Amino acid sequence: MITREPEYFPPELNVLGRLGRRALFALRGTGQATLLLAQAIWNMRHVFAPRMRREVLNQIYQAGIKSLGVISVVALFTGMILALQTGIELRKFNQEVNIGTAVMVSLLREMGPFMTGLILAACVGSAIAAQLGTMVVSEEIAALELMSIDPVRFLVSPRLVAMCIMTPLLSFYTCMLGVLGGGLVGFTQLGVSWVAYWENAIRFAEVKDLYVGLLKAFLFGVIITIVACHQGFSTSEGAVGVGKATRKAVIVSFLLILIVGYFVTRLFYV
Amino acid sequence: MIRFENVVKVLGGRAVLDGVSFEVQRGETFVIVGPSGAGKSVTLKHMVRLLTPDEGRVFVGETCVSEATGRDLEQIRTRFGYLFQGGALLAWLSMAENVALPLREKTNMSEDEIRARVMEMLRLVGLEEHADKMPDELSGGMRKRAALARAIIRQPEIVLYDEPTSGLDPVTSRTIDSLIERLKREMGVTSVVVTHDLHSALSIGTRIAMLYEGRISELATPETFVASQREEVRSFLDSQYITRRGAWERNVP
Repeated sequence: MITREPEYFPPELNVLGRLGRRALFALRGTGQATLLLAQAIWNMRHVFAPRMRREVLNQIYQAGIKSLGVISVVALFTGMILALQTGIELRKFNQEVNIGTAVMVSLLREMGPFMTGLILAACVGSAIAAQLGTMVVSEEIAALELMSIDPVRFLVSPRLVAMCIMTPLLSFYTCMLGVLGGGLVGFTQLGVSWVAYWENAIRFAEVKDLYVGLLKAFLFGVIITIVACHQGFSTSEGAVGVGKATRKAVIVSFLLILIVGYFVTRLFYV
Repeated sequence: MIRFENVVKVLGGRAVLDGVSFEVQRGETFVIVGPSGAGKSVTLKHMVRLLTPDEGRVFVGETCVSEATGRDLEQIRTRFGYLFQGGALLAWLSMAENVALPLREKTNMSEDEIRARVMEMLRLVGLEEHADKMPDELSGGMRKRAALARAIIRQPEIVLYDEPTSGLDPVTSRTIDSLIERLKREMGVTSVVVTHDLHSALSIGTRIAMLYEGRISELATPETFVASQREEVRSFLDSQYITRRGAWERNVP
């Protein structure tokens, strides 16, 4: 059951009490989010039914296609900045031709999935948390439960599937557009030919960089969806609560993206 | 049909329900009135286990709903239709899609059958011409009627109404009253209505319960209710300019 009973906690007596309560809430939130993830995965078997398939496609459009504009701008300029910064330094040693490697490797391994994750957390995660939070406040979630429609199957699983598909694809798109931006700067500002740039870019990039980057993006997609849905479902206190849930969804997603990103890198490269 | 046994519910450190006991009979329209914060909606939510009592038990038929979980709870809930205060229509679905939702999700009916049933329900609530409108294009009254159509589309035995006339003009309020009366007459549903609107309560109610400070302070037929000498009931009646103490004339079409 997603609909929760209102809770009441007497005011804390001191700082220690406040810290203890926060720690307990964090633990409880982690447990609830993990359970939500398990339920969403279990309910994924329903998303191939025709009606749910339509909802998944709608979510792919909402999450992926609608974010394409902002992702394109960020990706292009990230690649351009990377190329310019490394190119300026490498030019001191007449090595500016190597900007291709720097741009490609850093985008594939870290920057691509990381930037995509952050943008999707801000655009899509916040929207999911706000939508579900509003649904809780306006009793739409309770209405679904009274109609015996599982909100996790109906709302979370399609979003999870859509994000698991779209985040890696968008991450790859970010990388490619970033490489293009880097090439553009190399050609126009640093005098590196397109051919030299591209040859250099693919010479040191490994397939492992690609799949580790895509794995990271996939995990970020899961994190963004589950954190946003959990925060949305935990909304209380009306419109103020929706604002709080949205803010918290973005902050928690950002932090988890950083932490998980670090551990995946450590797992595959150390 | 629905029985509350000494139900206690504490919310925000305050006993909202403090030993509430009553029974709703099959086929009646049981109205719960009382001031804001008296626990009317809380009472309603206990009937479908959106809230669980801290003490006491709630029965639907012979089943204890306050202890039911999983499939049992789902089974009990299929016996209910619930009209939420704000309608609780899903914002991204049209009115017809909202009404069709319980059938699409929980039955194997074909699209043609669903469409026919949805139109039948929308006709019943007088909204068949607005089937394809989105919830934000509807007025408050239309939204409530659409939500009512969704609540009754699976032909529940019991319909719970949470403030069905709040925020509506008097004419629309009386339309909702007529619908509640019509559902009782034509479909034989048992209704539990939570309202502030005493005119509506006295017109459609078989019995009226007044919740006051967490307890049922009066439980009577409309005729007896208007003649009650309890201070809180008198003050509630006076607040809505109901000074008559004799028989209440029911003129709900």
